[in-house]
Amino acid sequence: MAPRIAWRVATVRAVVEETPHARSLVFEVPGWPGHRAGQHVDVRLTAEDGYQAERSYSIASAPEDPDVVLTVERIDDGEVSPYLTEEVRAGDQLELRGPIGGHFTWRAEQGGPLLLVGGGSGLVPLMAMLRHHAARGSDADARLLLSAGREEDVLYRDELGRLESAAVHITLTRGAPPGWTGWTRRVDAEMLRAVGPAPSAAVRAFVCGPTPFVEAAADHMLALGHAPAAIHTERFGPTGG
Amino acid sequence: MTDDDALCLDGNGLAGLLAEVFGGDPTGAHRSCPSCGLRSALGEHRAYCGAGVALRCPGCGALALRIGIAGERRVLAMTGVLVVDVGAG
Amino acid sequence: MPLISRGFGGRRRRDVDPARVPPGQYVVDDFPVLSAGPTPRTSIADWSLTIEGAVDAPRTWSWDQLQALPQETFTTDIHCVTKWSKFDTTWAGVSLDVLLDEVSTEAAYLTAWCDGDYTTNLALEDVTDGRAWIAHTFDGTPLDPEHGGPARLLVPHLYLWKSAKWVRRLILTEDDEPGFWESVGYHNHGDPWREERYWGD
Repeated sequence: MAPRIAWRVATVRAVVEETPHARSLVFEVPGWPGHRAGQHVDVRLTAEDGYQAERSYSIASAPEDPDVVLTVERIDDGEVSPYLTEEVRAGDQLELRGPIGGHFTWRAEQGGPLLLVGGGSGLVPLMAMLRHHAARGSDADARLLLSAGREEDVLYRDELGRLESAAVHITLTRGAPPGWTGWTRRVDAEMLRAVGPAPSAAVRAFVCGPTPFVEAAADHMLALGHAPAAIHTERFGPTGG
Repeated sequence: MTDDDALCLDGNGLAGLLAEVFGGDPTGAHRSCPSCGLRSALGEHRAYCGAGVALRCPGCGALALRIGIAGERRVLAMTGVLVVDVGAG
Repeated sequence: MPLISRGFGGRRRRDVDPARVPPGQYVVDDFPVLSAGPTPRTSIADWSLTIEGAVDAPRTWSWDQLQALPQETFTTDIHCVTKWSKFDTTWAGVSLDVLLDEVSTEAAYLTAWCDGDYTTNLALEDVTDGRAWIAHTFDGTPLDPEHGGPARLLVPHLYLWKSAKWVRRLILTEDDEPGFWESVGYHNHGDPWREERYWGD
């Protein structure tokens, strides 16, 4: 059986410093078949002696964007993320396989209301959904609840601040700047209830982030009365780095 | 929540590997677990990375799939019934 | 040959004696955790090891009984089929020669069965004459559950999937019966020096 998902060469067109610890890489991928918001790619790096490492990264760009954008957060002692966040520059090439994943995707045709709950870099696939939602001029009710450590860790901070097509709620768990009026605790049921919408609205929910974050948030949503089938989860586990 | 040391995400995270075996993305396909009866998407199965990959039922932890990553070959062993909807789109 | 990414080196050590590196392996300083399932949490009070199957009579050791047997401390290199090798790992445990001395068998093979239901198969000749141990101590401290504690099988001359974590039973068999990974593409024997990773190697 020949694999239908092949490795493609991706060339870095630009690098965007998102936060002190994270960077977006903008790729040109000839022959890219297009993707759905929420999908990811496998990235493969090969060293000169043949040594290889593979990691998965969610696609940050909307399907409407001709480039494929990945956002990578640097993990200390990681093997791949320091390379991608510090060494890689425009003109460099690596291999991508994808798009991958049909379970954690949203298309504007599916409508809303949309509830996106992200922890740290779990925001990346949710951002693809928000960018797609805006690009399509979708009138689906869209709400984002993001949990981050400090304000400087919030990915796409300016873009989220300017976003008019969705309601953005942020909780900072490791310290807030002076004048911060938002939440400063971990996501809990009360916070989710405040963000809404109510379970009776038949919400389409997407939860992404570290495994413990995802499982806690999903449990809270079930406790609030959301149907299990309404909650889509993607866990970022201990692989990667 | 259990402390799963070698958990390497879930079936969604392994979609690339699964696509090599199935010839397309099977993470949305549903499997009925013969041990506990739970019906869940392959993408929701808990993945463990050893020599190859083991996917386990998210309900009871019973072994669902084993995939041997053997060079250019993939070897699959599976229990339970997998339902794949191949409708349009 | 896949595309080379400029400037990518990975995390492996380069300053190693190549004669100690089996073909296709690279050396690491950490100790990656690989598993086929969640980490079992068996207490020492509940732990036992049994040799059974094609033997005259099964034999079981409690933790205390295992500790009362002659112990060895040794240093060895270990090699995983996923291509990492780790040098100079220090272990303490009981030689399988000591344990197998307590049973009488005509069998030529064994299957190691573990908490969590993992299995692997070995020829008796690969686990005798000082080539295998039940190891309970790594680097001077009790073996971590994620690395196989309370005790694991250690057969360092073969790929590490044969060094079954959380071993509880050694089942002697007349025929060789492929275990968990051997049934899905991995080599029945697993000698890293002959690069016996997969079926047909």
